[in-house]
Amino acid sequence: MPNNSRETVLNVLRGQKGDHVPNFSGMGSITLGGIQDLGYRFNEIHGDARKMANSAASTHRLFGFESAIVPFDMGVVAESLGAGMKYYDKADLGQIIYPTMTRKLVDRSTVTVPDGASEADAKTFVMKEIERQITEYELKMPADIASTGRIPVVLEAIRILKRELGDEVAVGSWTLGPFTELGQVMDLEVLLKMSAKKPEAVNRHLKFMVEYLDKVLNLHIDSGADFVTVREMGATSSIMSPRMFKSLVLPNLQELFGRLKRVPTVLHICGDTNPIIELMAQTGASALSVDQMNRLNETRAKLSNVVLLGNYKPFGAPFCDGTPEEVEAIIKQSLDQGADGVWPGCDIWPQVPPENMQAMIAAMKKHGSNSH
Amino acid sequence: MAPTSEQQADILERLKNGVIEYDEEVVVKAANEALELQMDAYQAVMDGLAAGMDVVGVYFASGEYFVPEVLMCADALYGGLHILRPHIKLDPDKMVKGSVVIGTVEGDIHDIGKNLVKMMFEVAGFTVHDLGRDVPLDNFVDKYMETDADIICMSAMMTTTMIGMPVVIEKVRAKNPHARIMIGGAPINEDIAQKWGADGTGKDAPNALQEALNMIGVLRDLGDQFKAERTQKEWGADGILQPA
Ligand code: B12
Repeated sequence: MPNNSRETVLNVLRGQKGDHVPNFSGMGSITLGGIQDLGYRFNEIHGDARKMANSAASTHRLFGFESAIVPFDMGVVAESLGAGMKYYDKADLGQIIYPTMTRKLVDRSTVTVPDGASEADAKTFVMKEIERQITEYELKMPADIASTGRIPVVLEAIRILKRELGDEVAVGSWTLGPFTELGQVMDLEVLLKMSAKKPEAVNRHLKFMVEYLDKVLNLHIDSGADFVTVREMGATSSIMSPRMFKSLVLPNLQELFGRLKRVPTVLHICGDTNPIIELMAQTGASALSVDQMNRLNETRAKLSNVVLLGNYKPFGAPFCDGTPEEVEAIIKQSLDQGADGVWPGCDIWPQVPPENMQAMIAAMKKHGSNSH
Repeated sequence: MAPTSEQQADILERLKNGVIEYDEEVVVKAANEALELQMDAYQAVMDGLAAGMDVVGVYFASGEYFVPEVLMCADALYGGLHILRPHIKLDPDKMVKGSVVIGTVEGDIHDIGKNLVKMMFEVAGFTVHDLGRDVPLDNFVDKYMETDADIICMSAMMTTTMIGMPVVIEKVRAKNPHARIMIGGAPINEDIAQKWGADGTGKDAPNALQEALNMIGVLRDLGDQFKAERTQKEWGADGILQPA
């Protein structure tokens, strides 16, 4: 790997050419082998800054991957707003179960059904009640964000990475986007319906999320993040219409990216992004990240001046169970279709065999120098 | 007062369009009129509400509707179903009597797809026991034994959580070799379903809602078999759902 890796990554994110197409990610990119070498279990690396940082660094150390990224799960921000989390402490050593939300601020668990209601009545009651609670709920900014929940763990992990690896390797971090984050703290189905019926009620919370994510991400940046990624997969065209994306999600992303000007930023959306890729380009993010469902060659043709990151599938076949040749083929495909940085469509699935990580790195060395 | 065929057609049309256009008020009004005119409640559900949902499925598969629209259509449908269902006269030739245990497997919190599938079963008249998401594997087996359900449906959206499915399949088969088991979610395909010994699956997102509808078509055909196997368990002689 050339020793100007970090510079290349940051240059590419800023829309300049590097001496090679970088091979990195802005999302979770740890391998099970990497954390087991360190003597860690998957479920203990989410709440301990040292373990989080060492895990994040291991992919660079083992394979020469060109970034180190924290955190790994999608609950950090929701938890800091008061949602309940589960860490699967009893999971087997080799098992990968991501921490998840157990309780949202508004969901079925916050509704008490009146005694004696029939099943049908209860169902309608719960829906209406969740809708009412969402409409009235006041999300509250934690008094001291930097010391709330696991946010200090993430900030400390960023500082460690910056200190120990920051000259050579780009250090990155991420949060979810305003809409997806809102779905982590309030019942997602009711939110989706309200987004169509009562968009103003939803938008009020989205504006709060913009304020909050701006603060959280700026804390990441203060701690040393070289670039930040915002993952708005809840607004994918696999779930909501491009029309809804445009009217409700886009303005809030524009506001958020408008405030994050100190470092390069990436907007990531997975699932179907073909119908909204041009809207994604209007958010003000420095670069766009998409997954394997995006027809990257068409996207490239539509958006010649946008920095595109993608789009190999980092789980299942062939990345996690195929041959090195098959891995080379999907990496080459992203390159051939015009990716400015080769990067996974989601978190790298930790059970990927080391040979396939090596095959990916080798494929990039072979095909990714900037002669093409 | 028997309804004229024009009145019937008009009400069915309004039930159907009310669902398609997710207008709960229209559906509720039409459902109440159907009862006033003493229309056959089963016909109103099947040729009105369910017919509307069939169209919604097509719109979803073709990308005209997205998840929020489908969820709103479902609300409209449930609005009508709650009114009509208690008045369905049990007709053993037509009823699909059956019950389903459904959930997203342990470690997996993706439940949007699962909920759409669940809804389809409810439309078709099934009793649905929804275990929710991140469901401990043994809960599928326990609920199945407890409810004596006809079908177990498991959903998984991740390549790693889906490996819980064969574990459940094996445990269930140990208790009842003839249990009917369906699995689905983005990483599941025909081959996997076959390999694990599941009886069926629905295709990848986003076309899968249509698959779920087809699936229900198959299940409707299975209705005869259900009838042979069981008496009026869930549905009492008056056509009213019996508490378990
Ligand atoms: C929305 C989403 C989320 C939301 C989920 C909200 C919710 N309540 O469901 C949030 C943001 C919370 C989320 C979290 C995570 N996600 Co996610 N998510 C998605 C996304 C973008 C869309 C999924 C979706 O809802 N699709 C729309 C519905 C309608 O489609 P569907 O689910 O496929 O369902 C249809 C069919 O499959 C079928 N079907 C479904 N179930 C069943 C059951 C039966 C019996 C049958 C017959 C049919 C059937 O019918 C349905 C209706 O059409 C996908 C991307 C993608 N390409 O799918 C990633 C994706 C599933 N997520 C992924 C990941 C990795 C995660 C996380 C682990 C990330 C992390 N670092 O924590 C966490 C999960 C934590 C956990 N422990 O579970 C990966 C999974 C990779 C893998 N290993 O397989 C995906 C594929 C993203 C990617 N491009 O890599 N996610």
